[in-house]
Amino acid sequence: MASYDEDNNRLTIKLVYYGPAMSGKTTNLMRLHDILTTDLKGEIMMMETTNDRTLFFDLLPLGFMTSSGLLVKFKVYTVPGQVVHDSTRKAVLSRADGVIFVADSQQSQSINNGQSFENLEANAGRVGIDFDKLPLVIQYNKRDLPNILSEDEVLERWQQAPWPVTFSNALNGSGVIETLQALLKQVYDELDIEFKFSEQHDLTQTAFIKQLIGDAIIH
Amino acid sequence: MPIEHASSFDHEFTLEELLTGVNSKKLIQALSSTLNSTVRILNIKNECLFSTELQTYDEAKPVNKTPIIGDLEPIGFLEAQSSIELLQSTAQIVQLILYSNSRYLMASDIHLKTQKDDYEELQRRHTALELSETKYKNLSKSLDLRVKQQVKTIEIAQTKLYESEKLASVGRLAAGVAHEINNPIGFIRSNLSSAKSYVESLSKLDEAFKAGASITYLQQVWKEESLEFMQEDLSDILTESIDGVDRIASIVKDLKSFSRINDADEENADINEIIRQTYNVTEPQFREQLDVTLDLGTLPHIFCHPAELGQAFLNILLNAIDATHDKGKVRIKTFVQEAQICIEIRDTGCGISETNLPNIFDPFFTTKDVGQGIGLGLTVCLNIINAHKGNLTVISKPEKGTLITILLPISHQKD
Repeated sequence: MASYDEDNNRLTIKLVYYGPAMSGKTTNLMRLHDILTTDLKGEIMMMETTNDRTLFFDLLPLGFMTSSGLLVKFKVYTVPGQVVHDSTRKAVLSRADGVIFVADSQQSQSINNGQSFENLEANAGRVGIDFDKLPLVIQYNKRDLPNILSEDEVLERWQQAPWPVTFSNALNGSGVIETLQALLKQVYDELDIEFKFSEQHDLTQTAFIKQLIGDAIIH
Repeated sequence: MPIEHASSFDHEFTLEELLTGVNSKKLIQALSSTLNSTVRILNIKNECLFSTELQTYDEAKPVNKTPIIGDLEPIGFLEAQSSIELLQSTAQIVQLILYSNSRYLMASDIHLKTQKDDYEELQRRHTALELSETKYKNLSKSLDLRVKQQVKTIEIAQTKLYESEKLASVGRLAAGVAHEINNPIGFIRSNLSSAKSYVESLSKLDEAFKAGASITYLQQVWKEESLEFMQEDLSDILTESIDGVDRIASIVKDLKSFSRINDADEENADINEIIRQTYNVTEPQFREQLDVTLDLGTLPHIFCHPAELGQAFLNILLNAIDATHDKGKVRIKTFVQEAQICIEIRDTGCGISETNLPNIFDPFFTTKDVGQGIGLGLTVCLNIINAHKGNLTVISKPEKGTLITILLPISHQKD
């Protein structure tokens, strides 16, 4: 649930990278930080344990100002993937406006992916998110590794699902922006209903995406 | 949800919040000496949060102000009389402090939030557990009660069955005894009919006599009515009838001891006599099929329940009869051995298989056909012998026979 701050004319949108442990959520965030040239780009805040496992969350603040003077602020989070941190995952997921589910493409990780996705659906329910309306993109990461599910296999698995599926190698950045872009389309459509971007702020879907992604936008 | 929003870890931090825990006095001092000026820290609404103690600016110099950036946008201002470049780089140092503090605040907020959630979850589960515990406690209470009720019901039913087993073996005697009594009754009835016809013959002679008939006529009637034979026969049938009545009396006497099955009285009694009575009442049942011999030694009287012991002997004898067919043999021997009365009941019957032997005293264990016994016979026996502080052992070989030995202490005797 995006929150609008009238005093500061500021809309804060929360995006969350969800997925099993070690699937590359933090790497996605780091690549966004490297690649994006958004007007307002904060420092990436990482809270990890000594062995680089996310403890609470990672956070990348991004933002832009519309011509109407509205500050659109994005807070992009990752959840800790380890099973034990479920309460933290729930807290981070709370009031999310969009979720990127980062799956591990390796064949051996199918069960973990499945369990994590079930966990996402369950936690969404617990924090009061209508899962059917939640903007969501499925990203199959680590495409550079051997012994991975083929794209056909992945697409076949998600054939019945309503969400877009993307493929990425977050280490070198490929597919990272495509995934975000796919999510932003849905987020825009969902938020436009409440905040009337096009009517009141002269902000089209394309402009919305371009403002955030900038030159990296994929046509 | 504005309240939740304000308290959640990812809300927008104000400058005031981000400065909590920072030693403002030292910060201002440090800033003041870095900037070599009076310093003020203002929030986004331009309200002064902290400043150098003497809030005096040198009127000759311009006062510069630079924004302090939060994660993306200004959250306050740093104001001092120094070059804008120095002011901006100093603001960056302040931002680093704030960034570090925001990391801490967010971490602690999310930590508290998850702790609270986990605690609430625990409490929810605890409540649920308590509920189910109460449920099970109640269930176990009522279960306990119901089990007790059922046990009571079963005990009552068992007692009834136990009693009925006692009566059943006696009942089994009834048929044989009825036959035994019916026999003498039959010939006594027939004898009495004969006697009645003899009375008619006598009355004819009596009429002739009263009419003053001649001696020749009287002799003729005497012959016609075979009064000579009648005289002999009447004597015979009366003797026979008296024997028959005596037999009935004897059977009734033996049976009486069994009609006292539930008699609680103890008395000094002769075990041999009890065995004889048992033998007598069962004799009609095995007369055709069995050769039962009694080999009864001299025994002292002992203080006991004669009726109970009779029941025990009866059950064992009935088992022996059931186990033995075609001219089998049963031998009952009594003798005294080491201050105990020893009763051996040996049969040449079918014996008891090894698998059944351990179970023969178990209530309701039976190898007999349905309706032939409910499996309490030997249980009743064992209980009776135990009540007499005695001992009952069974040795059996399939197809060879069974030996039951009962030992009863003589010390049980009373005057």
